[in-house]
Amino acid sequence: MKYKDYYAALGVERSATADQIKAAYRKLARKYHPDVSKEKNAEEKFKDVAEAYETLKDPEKRAAYDQLGRHAPGEDIRPSPDWGQSFGDGQFSFDDVDLADLFANLSGRAGGGRRSRTMAHPGQDFEAVVRLTFDQAFTGTEVEFDMTVAEPDESGTLRRAPRKIKVRIPKGVTDGQKLRVPGKGGKGMNGGRDGDLYLDIQVEAHPLYRADGLDLYMDLPLAPWEAVLGATVELPTPSGRISLKVPAGTQAGQKLRLTGRGLSRPDGSSGHLYAVAQIVVPTVVDERQRALYAQLKDASTFNPRAHMS
Amino acid sequence: MIVETTAALVLDETGAISIAQLAEQSGLSEPELQMLVDCGALAPRDVRATTWMFSAHCIVTARTARRLRDDFALEDAHAVAIVLRFRERIDALEQELRQLRALR
Repeated sequence: MKYKDYYAALGVERSATADQIKAAYRKLARKYHPDVSKEKNAEEKFKDVAEAYETLKDPEKRAAYDQLGRHAPGEDIRPSPDWGQSFGDGQFSFDDVDLADLFANLSGRAGGGRRSRTMAHPGQDFEAVVRLTFDQAFTGTEVEFDMTVAEPDESGTLRRAPRKIKVRIPKGVTDGQKLRVPGKGGKGMNGGRDGDLYLDIQVEAHPLYRADGLDLYMDLPLAPWEAVLGATVELPTPSGRISLKVPAGTQAGQKLRLTGRGLSRPDGSSGHLYAVAQIVVPTVVDERQRALYAQLKDASTFNPRAHMS
Repeated sequence: MIVETTAALVLDETGAISIAQLAEQSGLSEPELQMLVDCGALAPRDVRATTWMFSAHCIVTARTARRLRDDFALEDAHAVAIVLRFRERIDALEQELRQLRALR
């Protein structure tokens, strides 16, 4: 297990008071918190600072940390059996856990006393980002996680172990939504409940469809004559190709609603798909077409800028 | 090894949970949740009900409040409520920005 100097991370003396530690942490949190910082590697720096504060703010954990003695950062350390006896239940495997795992698992059982060792202690919550394609979000999908978690094995010894979790994501999830997978976080101890796994959903942008809640929007490019005369066009929707009747006189920007063809959820709620008309003109026209457009121009009294005069 | 599949629950407005469940799942205490309700950061479904029920989406709000409280070592519910409001506005703006970018 590699030693980390938590006091140096917070920039305080080993003799610092609890108030000095808090003040130093707050200053660094304001500087490096990813929500407010534009510094390079802010997230990484914040994690180091937060890990140090998590241990040093708790008098029991700080005492346990101090008992590890002074070492050079990165030095391989192996706490004495006495350390395990004083601060935990003695059952730690120091090879495959790091300092943060050790102190995270100390909470709820640090403090010596027999009572705290048998106190129910809920498992840690885990968080993960899930990136889905538009189609996966539309139909629902299954995702698999391979995680390495530090948790007590059958004998109660804290170890890092691989864990595979399979999760069913329901159809109709949207970008930015949060999901909870009950009981798939860290294992609870002494009868405490297992933690949960929280998922942060990110949905990739689709080249054709844009989502707004359960509603979907897509562009519907039309030739000028299709917009004027009306047309039946074939349209790819997420649930399959359909024929859409475009009414005569369709204007650019007009939305044609395809009822119930948006995202749908398992509870039966669903949105609509809106095809937004765009009038697209050909960039190359041959002589005959040019003559026809000229004829149309002469025949028409339509003034698209009438409202400006 | 067979790994069974667990269903993920969407934390939206449809599900309902009690204040005790919200406390358990957010890591905030019931008095802290009460203070966030007083500050307007959290809203029970019916504030006049004897036992408050919250939408499942409140888990997201309360967990963010807990994270911000811990990350910035905040001690006052009012401060937590204000930082939470800012965080929610940033989230909404970032999402809008992503949507606008997707519109190309």
